[in-house]
This record gives sequence, structure tokens and C-alpha cells, in this order.
Amino acid sequence: MAGFADLNLPQGLDKKSLQSLLDTAAHLGYSAVALNHVIDFKEKKQEIAKPVSPSELFPSLPIVQGTSKRIKVLTRLTLIVSDPSHCNLLRSTSANIRLYDIIAVFPKTEKLFHIACTTLDVDLVCINVTEKLPFYFRRPPVNMAIDRGIYFELLYTPAIKDSTMRRYTISNAISLMQICKGKNIVISSAAERPLELRGPYDVANLGLLFGLSEGEAKAAVSTNCRAAMLHGETRKSACGVVYTVKKPRKVEEEETAVPACKKAKTQA
Amino acid sequence: MAAAAFERRVLRRAAEHHYLRVRLELPDGGARPNAAQFKQLVVTALRELHGEVGAALPVDVLTYEEKTLSAILRVISSGLVKLWSALTLLGFYQNRRCAFRVLQVKPCGAGWLPPDVSSGSKLGRLPKPTAFS
Repeated sequence: MAGFADLNLPQGLDKKSLQSLLDTAAHLGYSAVALNHVIDFKEKKQEIAKPVSPSELFPSLPIVQGTSKRIKVLTRLTLIVSDPSHCNLLRSTSANIRLYDIIAVFPKTEKLFHIACTTLDVDLVCINVTEKLPFYFRRPPVNMAIDRGIYFELLYTPAIKDSTMRRYTISNAISLMQICKGKNIVISSAAERPLELRGPYDVANLGLLFGLSEGEAKAAVSTNCRAAMLHGETRKSACGVVYTVKKPRKVEEEETAVPACKKAKTQA
Repeated sequence: MAAAAFERRVLRRAAEHHYLRVRLELPDGGARPNAAQFKQLVVTALRELHGEVGAALPVDVLTYEEKTLSAILRVISSGLVKLWSALTLLGFYQNRRCAFRVLQVKPCGAGWLPPDVSSGSKLGRLPKPTAFS
């Protein structure tokens, strides 16, 4: 079973509050989180900085509750694109972009949403949850994104903060579900304070409210996050990633490979 | 002794009620709700997300401990998703941030509740809510 993951913790916080966020996330049972670095192209002169390495930032990571492993911290870059020219950056083989584990785009217009779903080499497409959707989702780009293994990200923290945003979150989520039929959804937090984080099962239950089925809702906080993480990893390699896991060999199984009755016959 | 700690229960049909063990997290210092205010908070959360229909959902606070801010809630099974999502999306208590941590959800209250309360449900009688409801 894939562990739970929260692919959006803002990076712009000071170290102390980030540490408390990480502690809370580990305590709630998340086995992986991603530190999100946001770049808005509207503001001039945005340089893509190198990702901070989590191991430097936190010498000792908290242990995930219920396991003996430490929490996994990834880096993530989110580009807010409002003009087609901004996408050139993603096409060019910029060195710093390659260093991030996960790359997400936040398209502001329908055309950019189409480009993001069909051509851009990204892992996540963020869905606006803080205001009314500026465009309708259409089936062709969404289907294309699902085929390419790109995931749609919904945030739940705005829904906790404000009741108007809660309405937009739910309505935008439902209109997305009508098109994507509950496939390829990732729900993450974007929480700035520990009290804005929610446990993975609470988030899965929230998925039911967005119109997901129980299985899809649980996948939105576990397997889909893992798939997005692996999709990001394939970008660094030529075509794919394969993991090998050493399996403890079962000794007694080999011994009984020959049934007892046959053994007796060969001996005799 | 360890073997006796487990008890197998088979539910023949969908359970009537679900039980939630929750803990309210508040920032340090400041007012702590008493049992009545806690119930009020739950109903407010339900009304905020689901309107009057949500507020009318039969929810009981079976136990509430003011010291640890933990409580056991009982809700009819059809309203579980509504109650749970309302608790998840509650963000403020008296204009200060708060968070409900849902610790456990199960379709049977045995094991958490005092025996007289939980055995009442086995006989088909509804257990009487001990705290304000």
C-alpha cells in the first residue's frame, strides 16, 4: 500500500514553523510531503532558484506515526502561468527546473490549461479553488492529461479558512469531477499552520464531498500522490524508473518443493 | 489475558450508528469549551457546511472530557460523511484557529464507553447520552 502524502507545504515560511508543520504531518500519518516553491510570472524578474535540500534544512526528520520510517521530504516547483510565453521556460532544458522532484503549473486561462494538459512536461495541474472558475473544463484536454499521467491538484486549506472559498472549492471540484470522472485527482493542503493540516483519512472523507467514490478519495491522498512523485522521477531519467526490492527468501518453501510422497519414492 | 482483551463482534446488517472518537485542538491559552459549548460547536460546524439539514442531523455527544478536549460522538450512519466533513472543515472556535482530529471511527461503541452504555445498544435500546446533547 502506498503511504499517504501531502504534496503541498509552502516553502516561504521560517524554519521553525516549517519544522512544526513537518512534525504535525508526520504525527497525522503522512509518510511524504513536498515543499512547494511558487513562482508567479506576473512579477518581473523571477529567477528559478535551486531547490533547498531538505536534508540541509532539517537535520533530523520526524518519524511517521505508526511506522518506524522517517518522513520523506520532496521539493516541488509551482509555476503560475498567465501568458503562453511563460511556458517556454518549461520547454527549455533549464538546469534548475530539473532539480525539483515535482513540477506543477497553475494555468490562468483555458488556452493555458489546454497547453498544460496536452504538451507541457509537468506532473501536476493546479485547479483554482479560491475564486470562481474563469473557464469551463473541456473533455479533450482532461482526457489527454489522464492518458499522459498528469494529475489535477485540489487544495483544501482555503476551504477551512473562509466560507466563500469553501463554496468555490466544492463547486470547482464538482465541475472537475463531472469531466474527469474522479480519475487522476490529488488532494493536498497548502497549510501554513499546523492547525490547518488535516489527517489523511479526514481528507479522504472530504473527497467524498467533492464527488469522488470511496476508493478514488483514498487514492487521492495515497496512490495518486505516489504516481505523481514517480512521474516526476521519470523526468530525470531517460524513460522510466524501476525499483527492485530484496525479498526475504523462504527457506522452507524450497525444501518442500518436492512433495513428501515423491521424496520418499526417490529415496527408496 | 491478552487474548481476552479482544472481542469479536459481527454486525448482521449495516450499523445504525457510527461512533467517532475526536479531539479538539486549540492554540495554547484561551477559552476551552464546556460540554454544552462543545455540542454547540459541532452543530455550528454542521450548519456552516450543510445548512439547516446538517444542523438537524441527530448527533450525540456521549462523553466529553474538558481537560483533554476529547469526546465520543454518535451519529446515524447515513450522516457520518456529513458530520465528518463538517468537523474537517471547521477552522475557527471563537475567532481563534482550531482543528478537529478524528482519532477513530467505528460502527460500534463497545470498548470506549462504560459497559452500561454500550450494552444498552446491544439490547436495542439507545444508550442515553451522558453529556449534554
